[in-house]
Amino acid sequence: MTALLAATGIGKSFDGTRVLDGVTLSIAPGETVGLFGPNGSGKTTLANVLSGLLLPDEGSIAFEGRYVTRLPLDARYRLGMARTFQIPHPYPSLTVHEAVRVALAAAVPRPTGGGRDEGIEEILSRSGLFDQRFVPCASLSQGCLRRLEFARALACRPKLLILDELFSALSAADEEDLLALLRAANREGGAAYLLISHNRMLLSSTCRRILYLEEGRIARERTV
Amino acid sequence: MIRPAPLSSGWATQIRGGWLAAGIGLLLLFPLSYPDAYLLDVLTTGFLLAAFAASWDVVGGIAGQVTLGHALPFGAATYACALLTRLAGWPFPLAAAAAVLLATAAGAGVGQLASPLSGPFVAVLTLALAEAAHEIAAGHAFLSGPGGYAWGGEGGIPVVLPWGDAPPIASYYAALAFLCLSTWGILRFSRSESGLVLRAVAGSPLTAQASGVPIGRFRRLAFIVGSAFAGAAGAGYAAHVGRATAGDLSLELSFQAATFAAVGGRGTVVGPVVAALALHALFQGLSLPPAARVLLYAGTLLVTLRFFPGGVAGTAREVAARLRSRDRNRGGRRRRGGEAPPGGSA
Repeated sequence: MTALLAATGIGKSFDGTRVLDGVTLSIAPGETVGLFGPNGSGKTTLANVLSGLLLPDEGSIAFEGRYVTRLPLDARYRLGMARTFQIPHPYPSLTVHEAVRVALAAAVPRPTGGGRDEGIEEILSRSGLFDQRFVPCASLSQGCLRRLEFARALACRPKLLILDELFSALSAADEEDLLALLRAANREGGAAYLLISHNRMLLSSTCRRILYLEEGRIARERTV
Repeated sequence: MIRPAPLSSGWATQIRGGWLAAGIGLLLLFPLSYPDAYLLDVLTTGFLLAAFAASWDVVGGIAGQVTLGHALPFGAATYACALLTRLAGWPFPLAAAAAVLLATAAGAGVGQLASPLSGPFVAVLTLALAEAAHEIAAGHAFLSGPGGYAWGGEGGIPVVLPWGDAPPIASYYAALAFLCLSTWGILRFSRSESGLVLRAVAGSPLTAQASGVPIGRFRRLAFIVGSAFAGAAGAGYAAHVGRATAGDLSLELSFQAATFAAVGGRGTVVGPVVAALALHALFQGLSLPPAARVLLYAGTLLVTLRFFPGGVAGTAREVAARLRSRDRNRGGRRRRGGEAPPGGSA
């Protein structure tokens, strides 16, 4: 089977410091993969390179067999590779409904008219944000902001979700809700995900395979 | 569960619409009070500057790309009108259409250069481009054929108008109609899906990009649309003043538009229009020399940014939200008081 995502020999340096050193990984369609590592091991840099926010210094990335190494973040999103950020950056002047509408406007194929409105409502309901749909994004709680990040990622009907510390600094209830959403996206939507976390227990309970990143290299890998 | 009301509720829209209709009605009736030609001229120029300020708001407000060179498409249009009618002999309507196209092309060019940039870099780039055009316009002379006149330089180039000197009242109503139409057009754009995406790009480019938005393309779109409207305002200005001068490309003009938008409320479209009308009329009434006017604009901009960063419209919206929240809290306290057990305070 063709890998959904195949990254080969990814290297990245900042000011002479080697942050990623020949990382090679692949993710199959629908697979659930965890990425674990100490602070400074290069987890977020790897997420940035895989999602198109940063260009790698060396190596190549293929998504569904297509070479995407130099494609920017927005183009990869439109292909079905969505990511969330460790620290959400909400739109200050937009409501929750509008934020999802923006993401849906970029989705391919692009829903129009009534289909679009239904699409927004469906995403908001699935993310548990329907009752907050007219609330400005900037006044959401941390838990709701993470849900909105997730809702935004769902709008492109993702084939791969890259989730950078999606569950950090959340209450137990918020974490449970978001976990249910993630499992549903994987089971019902068929989305594979790469979940980056400091929480080994969480990764063990949500991922079939865990990659250990140390000093910019995949040091080992474990199947749960 | 009680669902929160939409931010822009029906009654608020009706009140805003009512104020706007009343304002337009007053402006329509104003010439019936037999004002002198000078006052009509001040207001006519004010309408065109207000349309220009609204066009700045597309780029600097809605898209958040604060430009200090918005005079470039405006001046390009006034010069195109003058050059095409005076030197090429084109009829004014055709020259005006070409001028709008030229302004749009200028906007596309500026947008292409500015779209990868943000913040002060956009301001510096646009300022440099407009100042370069201003210097060229101030220093260059155009010859109108063998043995003809040399036009240009500080004196500018006259525009050939088919109607000669239009009566002030006709110019007044034409400029008012143009202001209403262009404001309506910009508001429509602002409320379209492209406008929504631009507000997202202005608010958080990173989140917008992670939502699949090609932010460079949308920033270019903002420059193109804003410049098209600025070009239309420039063509109108050329028709009203009858001359294109280097002042049409000046920093003062760009600065004016930015000040009007900051005072009125960036991104609100109507706010900059109202601020432009009020400030232009006020500053003209004070009969200040140009240098003092620039200082006054700078002072107004500083005071606004320091004390009312959202401008008049933004501050009004904030106060209204605070009042609504206070009313809700009072209502909540009253309800809780009513639910207290009887005799509890005896």
